[in-house]
Amino acid sequence: MRRFIALMTVVIPFIVDAQLKVWVSYNDEEFAVFKQLVTAFEESTGIEVNVQRIPFEGQEQKILTACATRTAPDLARVDCAFLGKLAHRHALLDIDIGELADKIVPVALQSCILNGKLYGVPDQLTCVCLFYNKRLFREAGLDPNKPPATWAEFLKYAQKLTDRSKGIYGFAMRNTLWWTLPFFYSFGANFIEDNTCVLNSPEAVAALQFKVDLYRKYKVEPGAWKSGAIDPDMGFQNEKYAMVLNGPWKIKLLKTIGIDFGVAPIPAGKKGGYTTIGGTNFVIFRGTKHKHEAVEFIKFIVSKESQIKWANELGQIPVNMEAFPYVDTIRHPYLKVFLYQLQYAIARPVLADYPAIEDVANPIMEAALMGEKPVKEALELIVYKINAILQEE
Amino acid sequence: MVNKVKAFIIYFWLTVFLIVVLFPFIWMIITSLKPIGTGLTLTIIPRPPTLSNYKSVLTQYKFGRYFVNSLIVASIGALGATVLCTMAAFAFAKLEFPFKRPLFGMFLSVLMVPGLMFVVPQFAIVYRLGWINTYKAMIIPHLANVFGMFLLVQYMKTIPDELVDAARVDGANNWTIFLKLIVPLSGAMIATVFLLTFQFHWNNFLWQLIVATDEHMYTVPVGLAMFRSAHEELHTLKMAASAISILPITMIFIFAQRYFIEGILRGAIKG
Repeated sequence: MRRFIALMTVVIPFIVDAQLKVWVSYNDEEFAVFKQLVTAFEESTGIEVNVQRIPFEGQEQKILTACATRTAPDLARVDCAFLGKLAHRHALLDIDIGELADKIVPVALQSCILNGKLYGVPDQLTCVCLFYNKRLFREAGLDPNKPPATWAEFLKYAQKLTDRSKGIYGFAMRNTLWWTLPFFYSFGANFIEDNTCVLNSPEAVAALQFKVDLYRKYKVEPGAWKSGAIDPDMGFQNEKYAMVLNGPWKIKLLKTIGIDFGVAPIPAGKKGGYTTIGGTNFVIFRGTKHKHEAVEFIKFIVSKESQIKWANELGQIPVNMEAFPYVDTIRHPYLKVFLYQLQYAIARPVLADYPAIEDVANPIMEAALMGEKPVKEALELIVYKINAILQEE
Repeated sequence: MVNKVKAFIIYFWLTVFLIVVLFPFIWMIITSLKPIGTGLTLTIIPRPPTLSNYKSVLTQYKFGRYFVNSLIVASIGALGATVLCTMAAFAFAKLEFPFKRPLFGMFLSVLMVPGLMFVVPQFAIVYRLGWINTYKAMIIPHLANVFGMFLLVQYMKTIPDELVDAARVDGANNWTIFLKLIVPLSGAMIATVFLLTFQFHWNNFLWQLIVATDEHMYTVPVGLAMFRSAHEELHTLKMAASAISILPITMIFIFAQRYFIEGILRGAIKG
């Protein structure tokens, strides 16, 4: 018997010697850094990790099929909005990362909590800020080092910057709900309270009215949100739009093309300048046999050291607040603005089907922008329809 | 004179349509020649034009591998499906056997079910068979092509039965009739079915994405999707890869254009 036990102590480690299967959808640069982190993890723990790159587009179908057939990997990196769907369908295990949870940027972590349980840990965090073209600022006689601080100032700037004869517009925006949330939030409106959508508040009406006015009344916005129009990204890159909302992911490209641009916090409304957040999270699937190892892996990825490396090599926002002081703001000057903006960020509600909510809201907001529907009426309709979706859950 | 004016008008409009149709392709080529990162600029002539996108697509991104995977899957898949379709169609069009009509009806009813419904059960089967990450998984589930069979059945029905009877009187068995009579007479239609299935496999994204978990087994459409991540799209690389990926389809169309159009039209009139 004793011999048997001795034998098992030798054998068991080999049997449980886990090979973690991880699916990720990073871009090339991110993947290169991620691979280095994985190697470091393997060396320090002896846990083997099998990483598969899957396309960002189509990951939902792939993961849902894998879940339905019990062939999901142990871990995957999924978008904020998709996490809600998986958690609501009980495809995920709740994760306990202990004290480390206090170090993660709260808004990012809250975007993974459903019914008090943590279903994912953010590995990447984004938020939006105001990008402005310094060259166009100078041409319009504005100080390129003084971006607008309030929405009122923003409007004045936009009017100065707009030169319709040259096809240059002060601002360009998107119409989706996610991109409209910074307006709602900074005007003091709330999105969802106690599982009820409250976007029909007077503040929300003022926010959407402001967007409508930018396009219809002040004509400082070209209608970049229409399908087939030159979208904000394209227009900003071609120096046709002087100001746009955008995220840290765009910085590298704009630098490569050589646009002279600045990044500023979201202009303040009644409440201040608030941003919405986005990003991705690592989740653990219910079918995993290596929960412990999977949690260790996540802890490693969001550890202070890993996040410092991640932030400095890629110029991205670290998810671990302990890494903030180590962010190389000389190498990544814009990151400073994003880190500041994060103090004024609002978490995403974890919803079963966020895309469905976008699908409902966007066409109605578009009708408001087109002048086909009064703003108040549009928002009442949006609230009514979103609440119908929320109650279904 | 009137004819000349007429011809001019026709050609004028044809040219306009040609430009409209070709524009996306031309834009694809232009974008693929732009330096990385400038994919969204509106300039028509890339400054400076570069072939680096093609180079990195083929060297850095394993696109050659995806391309070979696609070629294998699409050609074997199309060939297999065409052979099966032709044989099945011959049976349904020219032979008598028990339950022929209900069987045919059953096959057709499958056409009414959206293909997406089959994805999960098919995946479960393929997984149990241990075929994940194999060409088998990509090819075999799509070998039975009801649409292709239907197309061929309708066409073969237009071949006079007298011809088949005459062959039979001369002592030909089913096999000879099939090979010597039916196949040569339905050549255009068979080519059409081959092209359609080849194109289907070449463009198939979802299934190939699901059954391949190893990057080495990704096919062209899956590979193309890799150029898009959460917030950015590598337009120049994607366009270079797309330009390469349309080559086989373009070549097949150029060579087989005649069959293709003829085949579709015949089906339309006589079906």
